[in-house]
Amino acid sequence: MYRYDEFDAALVRERVEEFRDQVERRASGALTEDQFKPLRLMNGVYLQLHAYMLRVAVPYGTMNGAQMRKLAHIARTYDKGYGHFTTRTNIQFNWPALTDLPAILEDLAEVEMHAIQTSGNCIRNTTTDVFAGAADDELEDPRPWCEVIRQWSTIHPEFSFLPRKFKIAVVASKTDRAAIRTHDVGLQIVKSEDGGTAFRVFVGGGQGRLPHIAQEIAPAVPGHELLAYLTAIIRAWNLLGRRDNIHKARIKILVASLGIDAFREEVDRHFATLSQEALQVPAEELARIQAYFAPPAFADLPRQSAAFDRAVLADPDFARFSRNNVRRHKQAGYASVIVSLKPLDGVPGDITDAQMEVVADLAQRYSFDEVRAAYEQNLVLPHVRLDDTPALWRELMAAGLATPNADLVTDIIACPGLDYCSLANARSIPVAQALSKRLADLDWQEKVGQVRINMSGCINACGHHHVGHIGVLGVDRKGEEYYQITVGGSPDERAALGEIVGRSLPADEVAPAIQRALDRYLEIRTEGERFIDTVRRLGADPFRDAIYAFEFADA
Amino acid sequence: MKLITANRLSDGRVIYVGEDASVVEDIASAALFDGDDADAALIAAASRPGTFVNPYLVEVTGHTPSGRDRLKETIRSAGPTVGNSLRFQESA
Repeated sequence: MYRYDEFDAALVRERVEEFRDQVERRASGALTEDQFKPLRLMNGVYLQLHAYMLRVAVPYGTMNGAQMRKLAHIARTYDKGYGHFTTRTNIQFNWPALTDLPAILEDLAEVEMHAIQTSGNCIRNTTTDVFAGAADDELEDPRPWCEVIRQWSTIHPEFSFLPRKFKIAVVASKTDRAAIRTHDVGLQIVKSEDGGTAFRVFVGGGQGRLPHIAQEIAPAVPGHELLAYLTAIIRAWNLLGRRDNIHKARIKILVASLGIDAFREEVDRHFATLSQEALQVPAEELARIQAYFAPPAFADLPRQSAAFDRAVLADPDFARFSRNNVRRHKQAGYASVIVSLKPLDGVPGDITDAQMEVVADLAQRYSFDEVRAAYEQNLVLPHVRLDDTPALWRELMAAGLATPNADLVTDIIACPGLDYCSLANARSIPVAQALSKRLADLDWQEKVGQVRINMSGCINACGHHHVGHIGVLGVDRKGEEYYQITVGGSPDERAALGEIVGRSLPADEVAPAIQRALDRYLEIRTEGERFIDTVRRLGADPFRDAIYAFEFADA
Repeated sequence: MKLITANRLSDGRVIYVGEDASVVEDIASAALFDGDDADAALIAAASRPGTFVNPYLVEVTGHTPSGRDRLKETIRSAGPTVGNSLRFQESA
């Protein structure tokens, strides 16, 4: 994986010292909260309901064992023994003291991590396919390009005070495993006519109060023009985007109001004025970055693994884990293993310090010292020998990390909600837990198959409820928590926003209503049809009827 | 009645104005104010920025939050209702 050069290292060290000074001045009273707030936000520090919250960047979701151990150390030393992985593949600590923050950032810098640009109106952490470098359908590993974007966008002078935040995601396959069309800019690596790397560019996606699916603005921007094209897009928005209304400041609003064709003309106009040479990544620099992402030293193995096959036959629990949490790998004899952070009755995305230590150890022993954070709030060990999966599974089980529910209905994406977040209107975690318990039967979950439930505690949509196959949005009704349900959302290459099925439900009705909708799906699906495909075929009506069926039962 | 809450500057924890302008963490120990007294106490808290970050008034019945944000204020006073912070408290 990428290693800091002297510029990266110096920049992060300088930022630690700068923030240490800012914290000291805040603690002494020399800075007011209003003066300090924009400074802390530039370093990922929020003030939430109960405490300060620190969001640490995990660039494109890739970590090594030493980094995971450092995160465990921070959780143990400065927090309450856990961290929370987010839908931006970052990790949040919920309880650090203000006065400990400089020490935490210093610890992070030791392992080439930081919290720069994890909040505020700037270009945020670039996300990508969690199986990058492992998936058998990718054209190339997208992470070197993510790293190029990271370097270009870090403390970019023109883009440090944007109208709002700006999020970029990159995939390198037709199958979209990074929800690129929900991003301000989504990039899909394609082949240019001359066989080189090019980018299909989508713009103007986003969730929140006014959700939009990104639209295609360019079919194939050559790799050497990528940064110039991104510059043109963000410059056009930076100049024309609304700064008078926070709810209308994102690029999605500008693209929707101008129309994609007029916005494209704006971008093209800026693009023509840019110095292509200055914005081109030098070939040797690109090669240097790409070298960090070279495939690890895979062994030459047969495609089949006798040890794996034996374990599948011998142990039904391992067989279930292998069906649900083990993914195909481009290298024969290897697999990617999903480490579910969605245990029964758990908090989606939470992981304890002890579990982080275990994951660090397993990454080092079984996965070439790599672990990934998935936007679905799980972890992935990307490069595991099939031969090793039974032993790995046993160790994950011992640590409570082997829930075999990846992509099943209890693999719920949820924001922290009103239990932590000062923006939330309603709690997310207890509703996710109620679903987790009610839908726990793994045989039933496997029968239902792939269904994504997404839950947000407010309209800001950190839990991506708009694009959940089933979305749950917490709303406040005169001081009471209610939940609005959507169906038919999809985050992938057939991205769609869910349809609101009707009026919101009280908290204790959500899990039963969703179970009824899923039971209805089992009745009406055709052979092999996934939930989302049934919704696409029949619309929301059958599910609406099931969700509100209790009203008829009560009548 | 009203009480005054804020986050503490040093660690962000939820605090309240107690009797004699003391700083308390337990909502049950918060001082209750009425009418103009509440506004005056809020101004006094805001004048102590080394302790109180963004102080504001909370409507209460007894010491129980009762205004529109009563759920949020109840969670602020008692901590997260679920999750790993509770596990931490139990083991501490």
